Amino acid sequence: MNLVRFYLDNAREVAGLVGQHLVLVLVSTAIAVALGVPLGILLTRRPAWRGPVLGLANLFQTIPSLALFGFLIPLPILGGIGARTAIVALVVYALLPIVRNTYVGISGIDPAVREAARGMGMTDGELLRLVELPLSAGVILAGIRVATVVGVGTATIAAAIGAGGLGVYIFRGVAVVDNTLILAGAVPAALLALGADGLLGLLERRFVWR
Amino acid sequence: MALGGRADGRTGGRARRAATLLVGVALGCHGTDRIVVGAKNFTESDLLAEIAAQQIERRTGLTVERKLHLGGTFVCHSAITAGQIDLYVEYTGTAYTAVLKHAAGPSADSVRTAVTREYRERWGLAWLDPFGFNNTFAIAVRQADAERLGLHTISDLARVAPQWHAGFGYEFLNRADGFPGLAAAYGLRFAAPPTAMDLGLTYRALADGKIDVIAGNSTDGQLAALHLVALVDDRHYFPPYEAAPVVRGALLERHPEVGRALAELRGKIDDDEMRRLNAQADVEHKDLHAIARDWLARAVP
Repeated sequence: MNLVRFYLDNAREVAGLVGQHLVLVLVSTAIAVALGVPLGILLTRRPAWRGPVLGLANLFQTIPSLALFGFLIPLPILGGIGARTAIVALVVYALLPIVRNTYVGISGIDPAVREAARGMGMTDGELLRLVELPLSAGVILAGIRVATVVGVGTATIAAAIGAGGLGVYIFRGVAVVDNTLILAGAVPAALLALGADGLLGLLERRFVWR
Repeated sequence: MALGGRADGRTGGRARRAATLLVGVALGCHGTDRIVVGAKNFTESDLLAEIAAQQIERRTGLTVERKLHLGGTFVCHSAITAGQIDLYVEYTGTAYTAVLKHAAGPSADSVRTAVTREYRERWGLAWLDPFGFNNTFAIAVRQADAERLGLHTISDLARVAPQWHAGFGYEFLNRADGFPGLAAAYGLRFAAPPTAMDLGLTYRALADGKIDVIAGNSTDGQLAALHLVALVDDRHYFPPYEAAPVVRGALLERHPEVGRALAELRGKIDDDEMRRLNAQADVEHKDLHAIARDWLARAVP
């Protein structure tokens, strides 16, 4: 009830923060996909790198966000305060599920399929484009879906570094112990996460070969 | 058979543990022997709570549980009024403006008198004697900027502010004695609305030149370490923020010796002493427990 009144009174601000939140998640997930999928593919070609790279991605997950921001502030291009720093942090947190699922998806393909493709005279590029990526698309998309849904929740920390988003209401609500304010940030964030999950679920069903 | 016996033994152990737990909970409810000390989520609050806890332990022999680094002012206030903690260190001006929602008051004595009376009447909480220092908001800038532009007071800052960027914590931006009132009192306008961010990160961001003004704590050990200076509140916008233990009245009635133990700390820490203690934790990274123990041994033998 309070929450409804809050949204009516602050419609413009809420819309602005939801917009900032969406931009943070979309940009960071897009960058994480652009980095993570090629990195996952690379790991299937260089199995020796698997341990160190996945280990590093795992390690990134465990760095508390405030500590990560502390490291990032002094950095020249990636750092500072505001949306850029928040996006760098969100990319770091989104990498693991994408890299791991790309690697697992491709390396899980039946070796006989790969042999047959080679037998047909496919180059490495063709093998990847025509066989491996289509066959592992479901697993890779599942990784992107996890990264996006988790990213919607994680993006609330952007408010700690002046990048806005729905976390602003959560931080403000925690600072003055106002549950309505906390919910004003948490409820739409949860709805966004559910929406993202549903959309990517549809996409997954469309693209997967069965 | 042996397996069955072991299982029985384990169930027995669990039942005993459950019974112990129940007794513990029952004792906790009556609060006969355990004192819970809370603190806000910054070093000074943790440090003063640890000093109070050790002082109670060594003078009374009571068991003290520490729940440090809980959250901001409002979290600690909710916790003590709900009986989740028995004691924490609060600042008179913070209680006066942020908790009791009064407009900033004129003098230290009147603020202290008012909070003492209202806390007792509204929540049965007692304000003990202050530690002796005033931790006001430090409107801080880089020392180099202050020297280059001759900035000494917040009025000086208002002159250059239209070209500057500020970064403040969420609490300062939303408190009755926080930024909106400060901006009105000094006619402060920055190049853009202040960036809302985590308080701890503002120090870093200021030192690294990402923002130009922050609102820190005047007794913070990091100000000097990061070459930052606090500007003088020449229009006396901020009320006095004297630190003192706030204790549940019921605890003092049950254990008057706690009040006597804490009374020994009265006036023992001035501004410089508090800054030194904070620096030991934040700059030299010494252990809170050790800092409190060494200070008590030296200052309150």
